[in-house]
Amino acid sequence: MSLKIDYNDSWNLIKKVFPILDESSSKQQEASENEFYKTLSVIENLNLAEIIKTMILTRVEREIRESYVPKFWSYFVKVENYEEGFFKFSKAINFIHDCFMQYGSLFLKLKILNKKLLPESNIYGNEDPVDALRLLFRATLLSQLPIEHKDIIENFYIIALSEENNRDIADFFNLSQQSENNYNLIFSETNRKLNKLDLLEPLVGQVLTSLIYTTIENHVQKTCKDSFDSSYLTTLETWLETVIIPWLQTIYCSEYASVNEEAVKRFQRKLLNFLYETYAKVRINQLFNIIIEFPESLPALEDLRLCLQKTDLRSVLIEKLQKSMETRLLHPGVSTPDILTAYVASIRSMRVLDPSGLLLETVTQPVHQYLRSRDDTVRCVVSSLTEEDPNDLAEELVRGNAVHVDENALSDEDAENWTKWMPDPVEADPNKSSNIRRSSDIISMLVSVYGSKELFVNEYRTLLADRLLSQFSCDTEKEIRYLELLKLRFGDSQLHYCEVMLKDVADSKRIKTHIAQIPEYSENFNMSAMILSAQFWPALKDEKLEVHPKIKEQMALYTKGFEALKGSRTLAWKNHLGVVDVEIDLPDRKLNLSVTPVHVTIIMHFEDKKEWALDELSRVMQVPPTILRRKMGFWQSYGLIEEVKPDLFCLIEEIENSVSKAASEIVEDYESESAMASAQDQRKEELQTFWSYITGMLMNLDSLPLERIHQMLKMFAFQGPTIECSLQELRHFLDAKVREHELVYSGGLYKLPKSDILT
Amino acid sequence: MKVTIKNWVGVATWKWVANDDNCGICRMPFDGCCPDCKLPGDDCPLVWGQCSHCFHMHCIVKWLQSQQVNQQCPMCRQEWKFNNK
Repeated sequence: MSLKIDYNDSWNLIKKVFPILDESSSKQQEASENEFYKTLSVIENLNLAEIIKTMILTRVEREIRESYVPKFWSYFVKVENYEEGFFKFSKAINFIHDCFMQYGSLFLKLKILNKKLLPESNIYGNEDPVDALRLLFRATLLSQLPIEHKDIIENFYIIALSEENNRDIADFFNLSQQSENNYNLIFSETNRKLNKLDLLEPLVGQVLTSLIYTTIENHVQKTCKDSFDSSYLTTLETWLETVIIPWLQTIYCSEYASVNEEAVKRFQRKLLNFLYETYAKVRINQLFNIIIEFPESLPALEDLRLCLQKTDLRSVLIEKLQKSMETRLLHPGVSTPDILTAYVASIRSMRVLDPSGLLLETVTQPVHQYLRSRDDTVRCVVSSLTEEDPNDLAEELVRGNAVHVDENALSDEDAENWTKWMPDPVEADPNKSSNIRRSSDIISMLVSVYGSKELFVNEYRTLLADRLLSQFSCDTEKEIRYLELLKLRFGDSQLHYCEVMLKDVADSKRIKTHIAQIPEYSENFNMSAMILSAQFWPALKDEKLEVHPKIKEQMALYTKGFEALKGSRTLAWKNHLGVVDVEIDLPDRKLNLSVTPVHVTIIMHFEDKKEWALDELSRVMQVPPTILRRKMGFWQSYGLIEEVKPDLFCLIEEIENSVSKAASEIVEDYESESAMASAQDQRKEELQTFWSYITGMLMNLDSLPLERIHQMLKMFAFQGPTIECSLQELRHFLDAKVREHELVYSGGLYKLPKSDILT
Repeated sequence: MKVTIKNWVGVATWKWVANDDNCGICRMPFDGCCPDCKLPGDDCPLVWGQCSHCFHMHCIVKWLQSQQVNQQCPMCRQEWKFNNK
């Protein structure tokens, strides 16, 4: 080997082998393999490998940076439609791929050079220079990323995806097979190239992911819009598996990137989860409607339950549902029965969603609170419980007895089903037994709205009394049935009073038949009485009425009959209550009516005497004039009585046409009033018992603020079985007293009026 | 005009004709029933003593049974005799 080397020749040789090093870019013929190996030995001899390599790389880098990449990005400009974008993108990819391929032979040589002469070194951390080239491309591309690049990529994939989605339809009609094939071809080719360049994930990944997410979202929205009566979860799952995932696979799993298989699998799991989440969110937004349509919307609920298990949306659900309940249910515009219906539906549907009952507890909390603030809740519950036409609550009552679980005892059922036992969710209040939550049935939940059975039972008692005293039928079979059902739920002792009430009705019937046999009694008109055990009925409204002497006579006879039948007992008549069948004979017509005792008494008095002054009649009947006037309105509407002068009423037997016209205009005042004293009145009476305490207090201490009075009452008067009285209630009571001039309120202090002390 | 009443259904409450409202033994109203009973009236009647005091029958019988020596009215301490009027 000669030590003398011709440097010029060597450089020329190197330039020939690596044309990129030649500045004067004149086209030369391809170097032969022989020349290549010769060059290698020259490089080795001169120890130039490192330098040559760096030079080559720098040149390549510059070339990519300065000409290829800007050209590549120049494809990414705003386009008019998706189709244009589709083709632009594929052209861009083609271009960059060609550029890449152009370096093929150069990098093959570089690889050999690297391997032979620089076994230890690597290029940018890659042993294979081709990998390094990929890296170079990637880095340079991303370093010059224009803003709008995403649009074009998105266009490309939207077109491809919509092709994919429509394939079934296209197949079916055999339509546009040509163009579709065309698209598909370009699509798969582009993806292959992207994969080869290792550009798929860096360039496309983000866009693709968000595109797929939107697609899933849109699909879910479209699929389950406003229809709750069938399950969509499996349909959606299959859609994901048959449409989206294969499509993804065609993108990712070409021959160059078999490693991506695993990534796609992982992505699939992620997508499935996203699908559940999206679906659950859609359903949660519709949840209120789902609840309202409850038995029909069961499939939707089942879907949601499955989704909830897989996602973490419980808190979202609670928040959303509470909000929609507040805006759609809990406002004054909704009637109480409607709220109750919705409440029952939500109890039932929440039970489907979450057997542990925690969800139910949280969601229905505001409903509870709201129902508590409505006066007619209990009444509505009770009346719907005992309504004749079937409704949810009545069904629930008939269905069976409440299971009252002992809080500490583990029931047998629990012990048997221990394998199925599920712990409470983490949010659960550990102080409360899960048994109670799990077993609570609808009626006991409704009752617990008020916190006590007593109130509920009392309301039922009032309702029952009302019904018994308004119908006056002795047919109590249905009532007895309901009572028995309620007894199963609330226990015998609570409903004992109601039992006595029903027995009174039955007894009254028996007594009636007994008394009807008394001879002197049967001479007169037919009379019967509801004989009540006053202690067991709710307080009856106390109104005075002096009935017509004829009636009084008959009543006395009836009382006598009763006294004969039942030793040492007598009757006290509630004259104003009852119902009378009456026939009124008029010269030109006959009236058959069913009216109240007050009305009958009025007309009977007019039978005796044709003209009555209001005062006079009021004195005779012992009814206040205002009420009497109202009651007379009833007869006025029949045209029987006319107010000829102010406060002077006159009987009219024959109607002239003109009168009848006037009469028909009088509004009929025949409201059905409850025979019971209202709950408010009763409460007031209870508070009245404290009045003596309060006067005593104020007598001694002159004047006191509200809080002090309440405190002192708490200390002395509220002991024992008396009912607790809230500050609010006391204030109302005292304010009422102020209005009645029994108290003076000034400067935040209550005082007895001066005159009161003086007298 | 003639008014004919065909049927009258009235409402009345029954009560014991007694000189007091509450039973002196159980302090419950006479018109109610003694603590052991559920139904008032026939099922839980009153009885009068010759001393004119009256009680729920069940109450006074229980009282008399608890008395070892003298059968006295718990109100006036006179000897208890049923007044069969």
